[in-house]
Amino acid sequence: MTQTLAIFTDAYRGLKARKMFWIVLIISGLVVAAFACLGITAKGLKFIVWELQFGPTTRDVSPDVFYKSLFVGLGIKFWLAWLATILALISTAGLFPAFIARGSIDLVVARPISRWRLFLTQYAAGLLFVTFQIGIFCLASFMVIGIRGGAWEPGIFLAIPLVVCFFSYLFSICALLGLLTRSTVASLLLTLLVWFLLFSLHTSEVGVLAFKFQAENELARIRWQIDKLDARPPASQAASDAQTTGAGQDPSAGERKRLQDKYDENAKVAKIMDTVGRVLYGVKTVVPKTSETIGLVERVLIRTADLPPGKGPSSADRPPDGWERGEGDSPADTRPARSRSNAGAATRELAHTLRSRSVAWVIGTSLAFEAVILLLGVWVFSRRDF
Amino acid sequence: MVTATDGLAIDLHDVVKFYGRRVHALRGVRMQVGRGEVFGLLGPNGAGKTTLVKIIMTVIRATKAEGTILGRRIGHKPTLQRVGYLPEDHRFPPYLTGRQALHYYAALSKVDRRTRRRRVEELMTVVRMTEWAGRRVGTYSKGMMQRVGLAQALMHDPELIVLDEPTDGLDPMGRREVRQVLADLRGQGRTVFLNSHLLSEVELVCDRVAILDAGKIVRQGRTDELTRTVRRYEIQLEGGDLQAALEIVRKALGRAADESVRLVGACIRVEEVGAADIQPAIDALRAAGAVIASISPTRQSLEDLFVEVVTGSPAPAPPPLPGAMGGQGK
Repeated sequence: MTQTLAIFTDAYRGLKARKMFWIVLIISGLVVAAFACLGITAKGLKFIVWELQFGPTTRDVSPDVFYKSLFVGLGIKFWLAWLATILALISTAGLFPAFIARGSIDLVVARPISRWRLFLTQYAAGLLFVTFQIGIFCLASFMVIGIRGGAWEPGIFLAIPLVVCFFSYLFSICALLGLLTRSTVASLLLTLLVWFLLFSLHTSEVGVLAFKFQAENELARIRWQIDKLDARPPASQAASDAQTTGAGQDPSAGERKRLQDKYDENAKVAKIMDTVGRVLYGVKTVVPKTSETIGLVERVLIRTADLPPGKGPSSADRPPDGWERGEGDSPADTRPARSRSNAGAATRELAHTLRSRSVAWVIGTSLAFEAVILLLGVWVFSRRDF
Repeated sequence: MVTATDGLAIDLHDVVKFYGRRVHALRGVRMQVGRGEVFGLLGPNGAGKTTLVKIIMTVIRATKAEGTILGRRIGHKPTLQRVGYLPEDHRFPPYLTGRQALHYYAALSKVDRRTRRRRVEELMTVVRMTEWAGRRVGTYSKGMMQRVGLAQALMHDPELIVLDEPTDGLDPMGRREVRQVLADLRGQGRTVFLNSHLLSEVELVCDRVAILDAGKIVRQGRTDELTRTVRRYEIQLEGGDLQAALEIVRKALGRAADESVRLVGACIRVEEVGAADIQPAIDALRAAGAVIASISPTRQSLEDLFVEVVTGSPAPAPPPLPGAMGGQGK
């Protein structure tokens, strides 16, 4: 315990000695102050005492949801999950290269402490930085939401383990790279590159899923139209045929063929998107899920029912948007409206799919990846000659 | 000579270290250090001294290592609680004060807080750093770092202290203080393993030494035995032709063109010769009109031994300084 405490104290002193520690703390304070200044009234947004008379009103969203959305959107997704993480990585990237620097490491490894314990304690000490910073940020946010929004939401503190968890994925990579390269700059840049790749993977999967749901909705709509054509009575169909063509041609057959071709085309796209989506999902399963981990904070704090219209998942038994349109509507007239409604439904399905992913999958598999990286780090650290 | 195994602080039998396939840093080192000894490890640059020290301290993993440190196998981590270590070119975290650095490293050696507080003040006094104890290490000079480094090696009251170049960066006063600390440690019955380039210092403080060359121990023994008084005389002349005098001495002793009679600076050095044997040479010189300033028996220094062992030939004379050498004919 004496040894662990000593390493923690030293890491804390080291981080505190860096200017970045104070810079992050000050910016965190400014972010909390910024959303403490914003308010919501029946007329619109309010900045300190000035009524801005635009934006959401208390009729659209309750003050507590407004503040929680601000906390998630601005505080977590923008500040903690991006800027503060980059600053925290800049601060902590040098921890391992400095730890194993020639002359420093000799004094530490020549002690009655195993190398694996040294490595893991140093790693945990690095996480102290974000834990401390996020703790302060969440406490301040808790106070703001309580005082300004009237909701004392203890769920806010769940952001601490979740954001620490998110940071730990990146920090484990940074620690391993710092150990391998012995360079702060190299480990930082490579970690940022890995993060970018993870983000790109997530964005690609979201894009593919959106396409897939859009294609599936389109398929359902075409199927519905085909079924409607098939259900038309033969007599009226014949009369109609005579009126319109009078030359023995069957226009509904042509329409049906056109719809069937369109259906096949969309089915092909949906299948490709489904396959690509499955592959991306498979890849994501074995790598850290940074975006989804941060998304868990939103899932915990903001219920689907609290979300403004158009952002929640679609109801399973709800008829597809735009299907009620008349058969005679020309495609030119209906396509934009259909497209919009189809995209809205796809977005809802996408949100529903992403929200329905289990915490065990999001956190569990990411932590498993982290554990593998740390084991690799321990192995390298234990076998290296300094 | 140390014999009893349980009386050994360090007992190495076959320590081998390869870096890759080509670099053989250590080629089967055998070395024994008795408890309570001050032991010096010598060797030229690249001999593998620091590698050996780091293997003892588990900083480097040996390719093969048989032996014990304080009775436990090499690499046994808990044993390091009884071993103090001052690495060469050590660096403390610059944000720590000297006092904090001592606390930190002592805590890593499992020293409790109360003991740490007491030892910090004691050792800061010993290494004369009390006034600087509250200042950040980043502001220290090399000598100050060395003093605090020595203090951290002693914080946990170790039985064995391994010091890698402890006087590096210290001024003559600092070196004398370190020698005093080493003498005190010996007085307390502790074992000191000293790796130093400064042969004169090793000679002053070490009971036993080992010379490591190209990854092997080439000589090991008691310092006074290795630097025993040899049967050697040095004849210093006042003026005259030194080269002619050298030939006279060689002729008188019957050692024509022999390396055992040679010029060392302004002296004629005669190896392996007794007081009675040197008399004919003195008579011959006086007969030739040479003025003899002094005749003195000399002792082989550790440096002479080191050079002899490492190069395989007796220590050569230092090159003459321009204008500083006499000895040319009138």
